[in-house]
Amino acid sequence: MFCAQHLTKRYGRLTALSGVSFSVRAGEVLGLIGPNGSGKTTLFECLGGVLPLDEGSFLRNGRPMSERERASTLFYLPDAIVPWPSQTVRWAIDFTLGFFGGRADLKADVIQRLDIGALLDSTIGSLSKGQRKRALLAIGLLMPHAVLMADEPFDGLDLRQSREVGETLRSYASAGRTVFLSIHQIRDAARVCDRFVLLSGGHTRGEGTMAELAALAAARTGSAGGDLEEVFLALT
Amino acid sequence: MRLPRSAFGWLVAKEIRELTASASWWVLLVAIGPLVGVTFINAARTYAEASGLNGTSVGVGEAFSPLVGIWSPTFSACEVAAVFLLPFVAIRLVAGDQQSGALKIEAQHPMAPIVRVVAKVIVLVGAWIVASLAPLAAVLLWVQYGGHVHAPELMTVAIGHLLNAGLTIALAAAAAAMTEHPSTAAIFTLAVTVGTWVLNFIAAVQGGFWETAAGYTPPAMIAEFQHGLIRLDAVLIALAFIAAGMALTAIGLRHGVPMRRRIRESLTLAAATAAVVFACTFVHSSWDFSENRMNSFPAADELALENVHSPLYIEVNLAPEDPRRADLEHKAIAKLRRALPKVHVRYQSATSIGLFEQTSPHYGEIWYEIDGRRRMSRATTAESALENIYELARVAPPGEGQGDIFRGYPLAVYPNGAATVFYGIWPAVMTAVALIVNRRQR
Repeated sequence: MFCAQHLTKRYGRLTALSGVSFSVRAGEVLGLIGPNGSGKTTLFECLGGVLPLDEGSFLRNGRPMSERERASTLFYLPDAIVPWPSQTVRWAIDFTLGFFGGRADLKADVIQRLDIGALLDSTIGSLSKGQRKRALLAIGLLMPHAVLMADEPFDGLDLRQSREVGETLRSYASAGRTVFLSIHQIRDAARVCDRFVLLSGGHTRGEGTMAELAALAAARTGSAGGDLEEVFLALT
Repeated sequence: MRLPRSAFGWLVAKEIRELTASASWWVLLVAIGPLVGVTFINAARTYAEASGLNGTSVGVGEAFSPLVGIWSPTFSACEVAAVFLLPFVAIRLVAGDQQSGALKIEAQHPMAPIVRVVAKVIVLVGAWIVASLAPLAAVLLWVQYGGHVHAPELMTVAIGHLLNAGLTIALAAAAAAMTEHPSTAAIFTLAVTVGTWVLNFIAAVQGGFWETAAGYTPPAMIAEFQHGLIRLDAVLIALAFIAAGMALTAIGLRHGVPMRRRIRESLTLAAATAAVVFACTFVHSSWDFSENRMNSFPAADELALENVHSPLYIEVNLAPEDPRRADLEHKAIAKLRRALPKVHVRYQSATSIGLFEQTSPHYGEIWYEIDGRRRMSRATTAESALENIYELARVAPPGEGQGDIFRGYPLAVYPNGAATVFYGIWPAVMTAVALIVNRRQR
């Protein structure tokens, strides 16, 4: 789909991202994993065009992506926002569908899968954190962009909801949509993602499938990797 | 309802919903009724008494113009609303998206940021036009009382207040886009407004450059519109500031742009605006839409002045705070600037108040000069100025009695029912509409 190369972002003297590189493949669920403060949100905001990058580039088929091309390919769903708080969920979905020219044909399916039918006439500002997260994920899934980037999509969801949302995201990925998730709960990531990008201290510590990362961890530490948590600890 | 099809249409529809969902907008709508009511009722009562109501001497109102007697004071309520209420509506509409995070989603649309700002400004100007229904209600009441309305002068006043609202919206929007928090934006906007008042105060004391600069502040601009005068330079400068405010808002709302680039673009914009404003000060076209030609000499005099082709130099030995100077400026010099192609005025004084210059031998002298010929006068009336100019230019003055005399429109009617409309019906209707609109949106 595209490659990110040597992405660097500084806040004054603090380097939040330092030469971060990874690739995103079409139709996969890619997990960006890292502890709090590792630079996940900064990376997503740079990818989403919210923050300017100091260095780095995006390549598609070996050639640089223009800003317009990046904007039309990636849709970024930020964490911890309450957009249009006095408007209803129904209106927010219709507005984003109309404004971005989204997939209106998927509307009923997304509403049903994310179980937000009962929330449609509630204002966004009145929703709980988990309800709001599902409503915003619905908006993200209905966008026409090839890649959906969601920052902490499972934050605020209970176990059952996390599983349902994970299944929905996987279902849309298997239908061709690329999903890039920033997750700090490694168990959630292990359940949903096909591949992983490990981020710590603003650096990429590893990229690949579970097996590839386990092999990398074994090569570095000399011990055979266990689950994703152990691999993550070994590599970061 | 037919749904908008373009992204811009969706954006405008969204801004309308956000506007009607904001309490600040309804507070403005509810409050502007009583504000207009106070000014209209007081103006109409004074106008009636001067016109002979309750046995006051009939005849005083003969020269009365509704423009000065009714519309200037009535529309001054709009000035108060534009300064103290409208900024909060604009800040809410711009900062709301930033505070809630909606901008992070909306900004991912490839639409140019200035287009997003245009959508907001369109809705905010529309909001102001809706708020202008309150002074419109005053116009309807005035007509019902039998009052006279001269549409061009009324439209001039309304356009002046619309431009002022545009300036307020542009300033508040730029402040909201450039600051982290809405309260900072509100303080900044009010600080700029207070700054223009300070500038007017300094101008009154210092004169000179300050006086010229103060002539382009919103209060000075509105004052001219309220006298039925449209000055092209003032309109162009106001439009330049509005465009600059919108561009600054777009710079502030644009995501993914380094701070250094934003600062560079903002400084370039400021320099370009300053250049445009400076260029606009050389535009001298103006139109007097007042029915009583209060900004112009009588038509016969203006015809005679067309024969004066040489530059006119005026040296005024009066201090900035001397009331005679303001008198001369308004009664003669402002009209001369409109009637003659080249008027050069030089004010001279040793102090700002002139109180201690009265014994100075030349204080109070007004020198007129055309083609090297000079005449001195101490009178500050238009008649005196014209007499000197005709003499110096060797132009025959128009004969006595030429031209129409404005007789005025006295109206000795108490503003019955206005209090009910503005203090009762208006707030009740606006409150009801607010409740209905918000209920329908949910």
